[in-house]
Amino acid sequence: MPQDVLLDTYDAIVVGSGATGGWAAKRLSEAGLKVALVEAGRAVTPSEFTEHMPAYKLKYRNHSPEVLRTRPIQRQCYACMEYNYEWFVNDLENPYSTPADRPFTWQRLRVLGGRSLVWGRQSYRLSDVDFKAASRDGYDVDWPFAYKDLAPFYDIVERYVGISGAAENNEMLPDGQFLPPMKMTCGEITLRDSVKKKFGRTVTMGRTAILTQPHNGRAACHACGPCERGCRTFSYFSSPFTTVKDALATGNCTLITDAIVSHVDMEPGSNKARGVTFVNRTTKETKQVRAKAVILCAQAMESSRILLNSSTTEYANGLANSSGMLGHYLMDHAVGGGASGTFEDLKTLPNANPPHRPNGIYLVRFRNTPATGKHPHFIRGYGMQGGSTPEFDMGAQGIGAEYKKAVKLGTYGVSLGAFGESLAKFDNFCEIDPNLKDAWGIPALRISMAHGKNEADMMRDAGGTAAEMLEAAGAKNIRVTTGVEMPGMAIHEVGTARMGADPKKSVLNPYCQSHDISNLVVADGSGFVSSACQNPTLTMMAICVRASDHLIERFKRNEV
Amino acid sequence: MRLLSQEATQPALASSPLFNRRDLIRAALFASASAALGPAFSFGQAVDSGLTAAARGEDGAAFLKDPNWKLAFLNDQQNETLIALGEVIIPATDSPGAKDALVNRYLDLLVSAQPTEFQQQFVDALSFMDSASQDQFAKDFRALSLEDQISLLTPWAYARKPSHWGGEHPDKAEPAQEHFERLKALIAAAYYGSEIGQKELGWGESSDHDLYNDCGTSATPAKPIHITPHKLTHK
Repeated sequence: MPQDVLLDTYDAIVVGSGATGGWAAKRLSEAGLKVALVEAGRAVTPSEFTEHMPAYKLKYRNHSPEVLRTRPIQRQCYACMEYNYEWFVNDLENPYSTPADRPFTWQRLRVLGGRSLVWGRQSYRLSDVDFKAASRDGYDVDWPFAYKDLAPFYDIVERYVGISGAAENNEMLPDGQFLPPMKMTCGEITLRDSVKKKFGRTVTMGRTAILTQPHNGRAACHACGPCERGCRTFSYFSSPFTTVKDALATGNCTLITDAIVSHVDMEPGSNKARGVTFVNRTTKETKQVRAKAVILCAQAMESSRILLNSSTTEYANGLANSSGMLGHYLMDHAVGGGASGTFEDLKTLPNANPPHRPNGIYLVRFRNTPATGKHPHFIRGYGMQGGSTPEFDMGAQGIGAEYKKAVKLGTYGVSLGAFGESLAKFDNFCEIDPNLKDAWGIPALRISMAHGKNEADMMRDAGGTAAEMLEAAGAKNIRVTTGVEMPGMAIHEVGTARMGADPKKSVLNPYCQSHDISNLVVADGSGFVSSACQNPTLTMMAICVRASDHLIERFKRNEV
Repeated sequence: MRLLSQEATQPALASSPLFNRRDLIRAALFASASAALGPAFSFGQAVDSGLTAAARGEDGAAFLKDPNWKLAFLNDQQNETLIALGEVIIPATDSPGAKDALVNRYLDLLVSAQPTEFQQQFVDALSFMDSASQDQFAKDFRALSLEDQISLLTPWAYARKPSHWGGEHPDKAEPAQEHFERLKALIAAAYYGSEIGQKELGWGESSDHDLYNDCGTSATPAKPIHITPHKLTHK
């Protein structure tokens, strides 16, 4: 690295090194552009992975008071543990506010790779039923492109990342470039066959960014289980050991860590961005880095926060916000509807030893499809994730030797939980809280979001259909949940800088380029027009590659 | 990045509605403590190592076997009651029991770090064991014969249908039942979360396995054990 990397002028700055930022850096630097990849956190090395460490080696066995004290919000994420909580932001240093009656849980990582280190890895394509949903049901607007426009970029991403899964030829969930699927348990096969036979619905093996065979220099999964604590064989996709590594290998990409971007800098007297200002995480010094183009991949609300904090005389309400839409149309999948039970006829015993398959099953959306027609109570739909495995029964009755035996006999559990579409609404938004700053003096967000009647009706329906399907498959002891959890719980937040063809009604054009400022691109989940019901990361990556390739073409034509 | 200064000025969180002044003071104390941890960290990491104890490879269970181990929260009587109760609920059989697994030592630490309400419930439940024992046998629980201990606990241990999901029961439990179930759940979590308990469940040292077999073939996976004491208290 040169003595002072900040004196260079780069072709492009990429802000954020997660699932999308890694792709932008890889794509642009492999095309020969000079890239500065700016990450708010520190670098991560495999030596700090803890996936093979048994829980009894944790002092508090995952109930550390330090997690409780410094991560009261982050710990609501299942992946934030005594093992790895330092990867998650310290809530004391990274505050945000919400209206009292509109709680939102915001899960963030600030380390190289961001949430790609701990993500759930479920990877599903959206279909034209999603991209053109407004044309079907009249709610809101269609995406500014169709499935066929994004399909080649899904192909690129899947071929590189390695997605294991099974083709189903289902119009709601397009097939992709799959590695062999993982295997189902007996309980899952029972459920899959019953659901297909009695309801005509499709249960497929979870499509996941985990390798089932060696792929692009990475080893197949060794089934130890807890991917969110790292993977020393790099068998699940995380950006530091794939896209970012490739970007750095080109020699065209400079990585700047511990650099918390506060705002985008504009070239005085022009309508062009000239770089970003950041605060050094450890020294708190403020510095600038310059480039011909700025690409924000900081996470949906973080990217919007940067733009809202970049106001100028010309853009008094936030940079690139002539539409007034910046920060609005925040979405996060509705979760909470589902059911669980037990298969009493299945006698397989639980076992504490691996293999632990880090994946579950997926029930493809069946509400409001072209085949099933219009549902009377809600629009759009939900998919379900779940699984069926034998589990130890710590709740067994009795004491003594009999209790010890009952624990080991266990129960064969089965569960399904819905992820429902979160309708895009102007009134779900984030803005700058004028009275709140983070530990680096950067104005923090006020997030105001609530799920509505459509999401509530959808989760109530999901509880009922899940229970019905479990019962039909022969499950007993069925328990149903029908509520909607607080927004943020799905950790699928998207929107706040929506794409669109009309500059008056959207922030970004169909290539994630700002309508207002031609050399500013936002290529993370911010641009989503609707949330659909599929886990969003695969689509974010495909959109980012499409946006990056478009920017590369503009560089080639000297348009930047 | 070049680090010009290592002044660990604690962040200003002044106006956050989420955090009060006590949090700020605690945060400041923690910052200086981690900066003083010394040679395990490089200079650049000293402000905020960014590494958990687990990521540094520390064995957090070492305190359990420390020859100078001392109680952190319980008094001696409560500790002895807990040891006795643990050994009745999860005795040594052909495998070691709760006493060998040092269930009392882990629970003493766990409870020491919990909110006051949790601590009070735990202590009340232990006291209840003695008062019930005094009522029936005119002795504290730890002084009873094993036979009498079993006789005291049995009505509570089989009172209601077992719950496999979420700890919910159809009927509201009696206070005696609640005290017993609270302690049983924590003792079970502490036992099965220990190295001895994990081995009782079949856990071995190896982490490398072929990927997961299909239904009808040999191996079937189990989910990692994950027990949350907080939830067990809110029935």
